[in-house]
Amino acid sequence: MLIKKKWPTFIILVCLVLIFVTACSKSNQTSNNPASIGENGEVDWSQEPEVTLNVFSVLANYAGPQPGWFAKLVKDKFNINLNIIQGGVEGRVATQMASGDLGDLIVGMGGKDYTDAIKGGLLLDWTKDDLLETYGKNIMNFAPEALEANRQQYGDGTAIYGIGHSIGSGDGPSEGAEMTFGPYLRWDLYQQLGSPTIKTLDDYLPLLKQMQELQPKSDSGKKTYGFSLWSDWDGEFSTLAKVTAQFHGYSESDGFNPGALILVKADEPDYQPILDDESYYMKGLKFYFDANQMGLLDPDSLTQTFGDVSNKFKDGQVLFAQFPWLTPAYNTPENTAAGKGFALVPFEEQNIYSSGFNPYGGNWLWSIGAKTKHPERVMALLDWMFSPDGIMEGFWGPKGLAWDLDDNGKPVLTEYGLQAMYNGDTPVPEEYGGGIWSDGAGNFGKLNNTTLALSQINPNTGEPYDYKLWTSELTRDPDPVKKSWQDTMGVLTDKELFVKNNQVAVSKSFFNGQAPVEEPSDIKLKRSQVGKVIKEYSWKMMFAKDEAEFDSLKQEMLEKAKGLGYDEVINWQAEQTTNTVFTIYK
Amino acid sequence: MAIRSKISFFDIINYTVLALFTLTCFFPFYYLFINTISNNDLSSRGLVMFYPIEIHLSNYAQVFQIPGFGQAALVSLGRTVIGTLLTVAASGFLGYLFTKQEMWGRRFWYRFLVITMYFNAGLIPWYLIMRNLGLLNNFLAYLLPAIVSPFYIILVKTYVESTPISLQESAQIDGAGYFTVFWKIIMPLITPILATIAIFSAVGQWNQFYDTLFLVTDQRLYTLQFILWRYLNEATSVAEIMRQTGGSTRLDLSMMPTATSIRTTVTMIVVVPILLVYPFFQRFFVKGIMIGAVKG
Amino acid sequence: MQVGPSQASTSTPIRERFQIKSKHWLFLMACPFLVLVFIFSYLPLGGWIYAFYDYRPGIPLSKSDFVGFHWFTAMFSNEVQRSEMVRVLRNTFAISSLGILTSVLPVIFAIMLTEVRNASFKKIVQTFTTLPNFISWVLVYSFAFMLFSVDGGFLNNVLMSLGWIEEPTNILASNQHTWLAMTLWGVWKGLGWGAIMYIAAITGIDQELYEAAKVDGASRFRQIWHVTIPGIMPTFFVLLVLSIANFINNGMEQYFIFANAMNMSNIEVLDLYVYNVGITGSNFGFATAVSIMKSFVSLFLLFLANGLSKAVRGETII
Repeated sequence: MLIKKKWPTFIILVCLVLIFVTACSKSNQTSNNPASIGENGEVDWSQEPEVTLNVFSVLANYAGPQPGWFAKLVKDKFNINLNIIQGGVEGRVATQMASGDLGDLIVGMGGKDYTDAIKGGLLLDWTKDDLLETYGKNIMNFAPEALEANRQQYGDGTAIYGIGHSIGSGDGPSEGAEMTFGPYLRWDLYQQLGSPTIKTLDDYLPLLKQMQELQPKSDSGKKTYGFSLWSDWDGEFSTLAKVTAQFHGYSESDGFNPGALILVKADEPDYQPILDDESYYMKGLKFYFDANQMGLLDPDSLTQTFGDVSNKFKDGQVLFAQFPWLTPAYNTPENTAAGKGFALVPFEEQNIYSSGFNPYGGNWLWSIGAKTKHPERVMALLDWMFSPDGIMEGFWGPKGLAWDLDDNGKPVLTEYGLQAMYNGDTPVPEEYGGGIWSDGAGNFGKLNNTTLALSQINPNTGEPYDYKLWTSELTRDPDPVKKSWQDTMGVLTDKELFVKNNQVAVSKSFFNGQAPVEEPSDIKLKRSQVGKVIKEYSWKMMFAKDEAEFDSLKQEMLEKAKGLGYDEVINWQAEQTTNTVFTIYK
Repeated sequence: MAIRSKISFFDIINYTVLALFTLTCFFPFYYLFINTISNNDLSSRGLVMFYPIEIHLSNYAQVFQIPGFGQAALVSLGRTVIGTLLTVAASGFLGYLFTKQEMWGRRFWYRFLVITMYFNAGLIPWYLIMRNLGLLNNFLAYLLPAIVSPFYIILVKTYVESTPISLQESAQIDGAGYFTVFWKIIMPLITPILATIAIFSAVGQWNQFYDTLFLVTDQRLYTLQFILWRYLNEATSVAEIMRQTGGSTRLDLSMMPTATSIRTTVTMIVVVPILLVYPFFQRFFVKGIMIGAVKG
Repeated sequence: MQVGPSQASTSTPIRERFQIKSKHWLFLMACPFLVLVFIFSYLPLGGWIYAFYDYRPGIPLSKSDFVGFHWFTAMFSNEVQRSEMVRVLRNTFAISSLGILTSVLPVIFAIMLTEVRNASFKKIVQTFTTLPNFISWVLVYSFAFMLFSVDGGFLNNVLMSLGWIEEPTNILASNQHTWLAMTLWGVWKGLGWGAIMYIAAITGIDQELYEAAKVDGASRFRQIWHVTIPGIMPTFFVLLVLSIANFINNGMEQYFIFANAMNMSNIEVLDLYVYNVGITGSNFGFATAVSIMKSFVSLFLLFLANGLSKAVRGETII
């Protein structure tokens, strides 16, 4: 009996042994040097044996093999198939990190995950075996500062584990034709009202009231509103209310530290704690509160998602847009032909936040997995994505399909391209990979990250990479709404207008050779708890019955937030910003 | 017979209440369905309410054209059929074993099993175990963890205990082994609960995508639910990126959320097979048939 | 558990020898399955150790900071947080209690359904009432939004055109009766599906009992009361005990979808709160600590309910 009683223990032991046996991972193969080296030392990667690389992209909203023309392009050039692992899903980064193998190419991982991956030995050092020197010529050529920054910040001055995104140099805004934020109104209604000048943000309210009276019903006969908001993008605050800060040159991030609860001026050493009486966030809440009092705020704002709002824009139910990229939903060819559409209607006090060029690269880094069997081929692929040709083809497709160079060597969209860029369902010819345009389209297909900033000038053509900024595109016949706007403003693009009127605050890139200080876990916990309170009360305040309720909710919010450690979070964040970014101004 | 034909007050109430409740269950489904076959533009404006307008099938065409749809449907079918068979067999047999008082350490092992329902080790340990067992990119990952399910075993045990025990006792005295007793006597008796478990487990397998999401990167093993989830998620992950960047990521039209009509279409495509199979199982729920068969 | 007498009466010497062998044989047959349980449910519990570290995936524990019970106390560390917890637990208890109260509804539904004699009506009801179970909460919400939104919502339109209300109201953003509303949505979604188990239980009731009752001249109500209900009681009590153990695990999907700033203070159950604190996704130490605490509370409730069952009904469930 005694022996028999030990059964469970025995079984448990057997299990454990089994598990640990299977746990032993196979040893890594060392890489072979490429076989097919051409005459002048150039490698013809297309002659290499076919491989499938696992691309772990935190930014991808797709999983599975890269489809469409981009897949064909990479296959033809490198004989590589890309299998995309979607890292943006909650928990996916963690499991991948815990498993000790992040895949071959890692896209968009930054911040604490990135430093952890280095600490855990999950990333390949590019300086080893002269990998970068041999196969990364374009990266070294076009992004030397970004490489150096990475070496200083994360590699103890020797190793290089990755490179940032959207790298660029020069002054002025790094955005394309449009900024990221801005006040957009229904241009047709605005003109019908005699195009009054607008001084402050609050001046939009009476104007919108008039617009609402002028156009009380949408296309399908529903009530129109000045604003329709949504809450599903809220993190630690109401995102839409916070955009008010961006209208005034402030942002919740200083561009270097992982901020959130302080609003930092783009081009001055100034910050506002988000709940300060005078902060632009609180002004944003008051703004929407006033709008609601005037009947301008869609009462469903609280309960709807972005999808619902974008349908309302489509239907013409909303008269004000906070983002330029919301407007195409209404500015369809039919609507603009009828003279109806959104356009930028600036106010005098505005000072739009703009991210400047950052030679050190943004926080969505490109890196290579330590366990890859093909470091040289991953590096070659990455290098191609940093080359002018690679960017042009990776974004706009193989030359000759959607774009081409004209007789002067300037890029133009082809007839096909004009279609494809505005309609993702356009079929792609079989020789380019077949399927539809949007299968392959994206930022390097489904990898969804940038290398060099797209508004940088392509040295081969002398024009920016972004097709919307090509001379050929800027001078193409605009739609009637755009035309009317251009004639009135005397500029071609939104960005020009902001720059011309000196109404843009461009953030400066910062580098001191160190990585941003990691947020301690307890600060993080406090930040998220405080954020929860701010988010909840912000919406309640916007929909408060009257001023008195607005004020009492505000008091309640402050008390609760402070109780949860608001001041500590603010102090910690302000300290980081003061110690780093603000030193630029000294 | 006279009682049968009489329609009592109770019947009227009963039929009315059931009919009304059925309607409240059916109407939302119907509403969602007509929105998938109506003009998408009208549907997104909330103008389709009681009957379809401008009927078209392009939403369905679009979903069926997702690359890998056929293969994924097969994988889903495979895991559903095999997984359900395994779960039902294991639950039935184990549930029966745990009714045997004489089993060595019965109480302990039963509790050992039941309390796992309330354990949650978290994502990472689960992932590491699955990985160490070699269950990444492995079809078995869909089956093995599902075989033993405490909840179903409890259901079977309860059910067996409420059936007349004399039948199996008499068989055991005749020298029949446990397998024989289980197969010949218990199985026919507990068909209704096994059918219930089959339905639950089949639907669970059919709807599962979480394991694929974390354990599978090989597209040949993608399940239908996973590719549909991925398809829908292309829109929802936009919200996630926006949360992280405070709305400062630029969207283009291709990143706009999937229309609700597509979302709904996906639901229809997933639910219809279940609806087709379920009535087949209902024949196991006809009062009294099985017991009669055993006794007969 | 109802074995008693027959067992005792058959314990002859031969039988005894048979039993000595069979008790291990029975265990041996269960063994492969228990091994599976061990592998898939117990082995991962090794990960509970993360709760005591400032653990970051990818970095071995040996290089992580040991924090002791820090994560366990983090949620209760100051007055405001404690009052938040009180609020959240109140919601959890309210919604769970309502859920337990409404757990008799599937029983009633199953009885009503089995009393239906028209086979095709029965089939239709049985099939269609499971439909809500298959509609995801996201879609349930989009349907609810269609019904209740202010701007063109069905209900507001009807009430306005009837002249019952002057101004449309935002029902989804109401803070009134949140617990009840959530319970009702849950009942609607799960009733038909949950009833399947009871339908199976009713099917298993010995027909002879009904025949005997009929011979005694029992009415339909009496048959239901004396035969059907006792027949499904074991199943009901088992499920009841299991759901009591699940008292603090409401899940979060439904509440997450229906939550907004106005109803947040009443809708935020424990699971949603933990999610909303926003760090479960990245702070694994904290997430694990919460899991552990929840597991222990559940187990405590499970054995408590089991003990109660023994005291009240003289039977244990597990």
